[in-house]
Amino acid sequence: MYNEGFAEDEVDLSDEVDLLTPSYGGVEDELDDDDQIQLMLQQQYAQEIPDVVKNFIIYFHRNVLENNVYELHGIYENSFNRLTEKFYMKAPWPEADFIAPLVNDDSDGPVALELPNQWLWDIIDEFIYQFQSFCNYRNRLKNKTEEEIVLLRDNIQVWSCYSVLNVLYSLITKSRITEQLLVSKHGGDMIEAAGEYGSRPLYKMLGYFSIIGLLRVHCLLGDYTLALKMMDNIELNKKALFARVTACHVTTYYYVGFAYMMMRRYADAIKAFSHILVFIARTKMYHTRSYQFDQINKKGDQMYALLAICIALCPTRLDENIHSHLREKYGEHLSKMQRGEEGLQTFEDLFLSYLKLYTTMGIDKLAAFLEIEPDKLRTQLLIVKQKSRQQKWSSGTLLEGEYVATSDLDFCLKQDMIHIAESKVGRRYGDWFLRNINKFQDIIAGMELRA
Amino acid sequence: MNSESLLKPSPLIPTSRPEIIQSLIDGVDRYNPDNVSILEEYLGTQLQTEDYDLMANLAILKLYQFNPHLVNEQVINNILVKSLTAIPNPDFNLCLYLLHENALADESVAKLVELQQLLEQCKYQEFWKLYESDDSYKELTSDAIGFEDAIRKVILTSISMTYQSISAELLSNYLNLNINEEEFESFIQTRNLVNKDGIILVPTNYDNEAKPTVIRENIKFEQLTKVIGYSNEL
Repeated sequence: MYNEGFAEDEVDLSDEVDLLTPSYGGVEDELDDDDQIQLMLQQQYAQEIPDVVKNFIIYFHRNVLENNVYELHGIYENSFNRLTEKFYMKAPWPEADFIAPLVNDDSDGPVALELPNQWLWDIIDEFIYQFQSFCNYRNRLKNKTEEEIVLLRDNIQVWSCYSVLNVLYSLITKSRITEQLLVSKHGGDMIEAAGEYGSRPLYKMLGYFSIIGLLRVHCLLGDYTLALKMMDNIELNKKALFARVTACHVTTYYYVGFAYMMMRRYADAIKAFSHILVFIARTKMYHTRSYQFDQINKKGDQMYALLAICIALCPTRLDENIHSHLREKYGEHLSKMQRGEEGLQTFEDLFLSYLKLYTTMGIDKLAAFLEIEPDKLRTQLLIVKQKSRQQKWSSGTLLEGEYVATSDLDFCLKQDMIHIAESKVGRRYGDWFLRNINKFQDIIAGMELRA
Repeated sequence: MNSESLLKPSPLIPTSRPEIIQSLIDGVDRYNPDNVSILEEYLGTQLQTEDYDLMANLAILKLYQFNPHLVNEQVINNILVKSLTAIPNPDFNLCLYLLHENALADESVAKLVELQQLLEQCKYQEFWKLYESDDSYKELTSDAIGFEDAIRKVILTSISMTYQSISAELLSNYLNLNINEEEFESFIQTRNLVNKDGIILVPTNYDNEAKPTVIRENIKFEQLTKVIGYSNEL
């Protein structure tokens, strides 16, 4: 769906900001001969620009100059994609040089641009996507020719982690987004904190989205603590800036949940996944027309799979809709996981179900029920105890949290005797009354309307 | 009331962390390969004491990840050894995630993974058996002063979470200490445990209490705003 035109935006942006972090491995973008020929061919092709496209570019240019973010949003979400589908499915959009006359050769334009948030997010998102795709490509050595391998080996700096981090960190530094977030949290002079660049929405949002971008990049690199650390100044709530762009909202929760899962904080992961899955389900009708719809649904499906893994490892009550959808989609996988290849989980379920029947029970007796050695049972009980405790967030930054019990069933051993205690959820009178008061009020309001 | 679990996450900011390390890992300086030696030296001081700094050690592995020519196997081993003493925190795995495939195939790393598996699975007797099976394990962990005692602490935490009382013999087995020797008695005493005729009594705590509880609903003020609003209309 994306094409060259977008990739160029990224290059421009990274050039626009000074690379404030020292560059440890710069990217050289010298083209070799093959690339030159390729480029010329593309340009020839692009010379024949259909009138609709010409008009589109002129219209687009005018709106950019006038900072019509609303119009630009429409262009970005609809017209551009429509034209791409019609004319440029298999070829890139015309090179900048060829459309330059249409827009009075203003390619060195100022940066007083205002672009829709959606677009800014896509710039960052696509940048990381390209990085990810290139890494995938580079690591797949199988069907590569010797020549290709040599080429890759000689150019290890291409799409190196350092160059990607440089761009993202530079945007963060330039936009002073960290300072801005701190001021919005603790108070202070926002204009001073934002500085010359950060006061412009374009830079502010690019900086902000770069933080989310780093969350993703660090997850991709397997550094889950650092990934969550990037979010130190961002609170997960509806008012947060990431919620303004649906795709960004979904991405944020996906990677936060993923990082938590990898840190064995399943309760926190489940909370993140179910939160965003409920959101996706509730807003489905609003984004069916958006080009992001498929993307979001795909991410949603992946999150159901991750949720299934977390639920298997840490049984938890879920939102009803989420739970039924999970059963429907991954019911079989879930029960397989819960049975467990190594039998550990099954075992746990089994003896937890035995434990639920008793308040005290001898180790020997339970071992006999389960047909295992008493010593093995002791070991299993030690594991269950440890696994029923999990680090869980309650306040502060995402990395914070203390160990709490995550299971309703608890036990202790007095030498050879197991003592069992179950925590129960009390009846929710208050909730019941509140719901019925509201219902009652609605009925009265309805009656008054008729009268 | 015992409101806190005996398990503690590895601190995000250990009190023993020097300021220079703090500012280094907080900013973009953490990516500068020139700083790897400062972090490695800091690991050195962790090895001499009980101090442990996961975030700083992950920063070393991060630099190794980006700059393969910096990799020092000895340092990787020592970081992993230190993270064994943080079990059941996921630290060992968090470190493994940052290692290159080649490093995972390394014999020392494979041995440390074996030790980790046994500790995670609470197979403490088997852990000590393997640990003492040949000298290589002791050599691997020899840089970390007090490693064996640190592991005993991990094991004792696990036992204290589960047991209110346990036979001295079983406990000494788990800890790999001879029940008839002074070392066992002094270990017990320094940890506030009482040996009563061969039964060790563990003070009750959040984890080994096992009290049946009823979770009561907690209504927040925000839930009541609508209802209060109705009363205005009357």
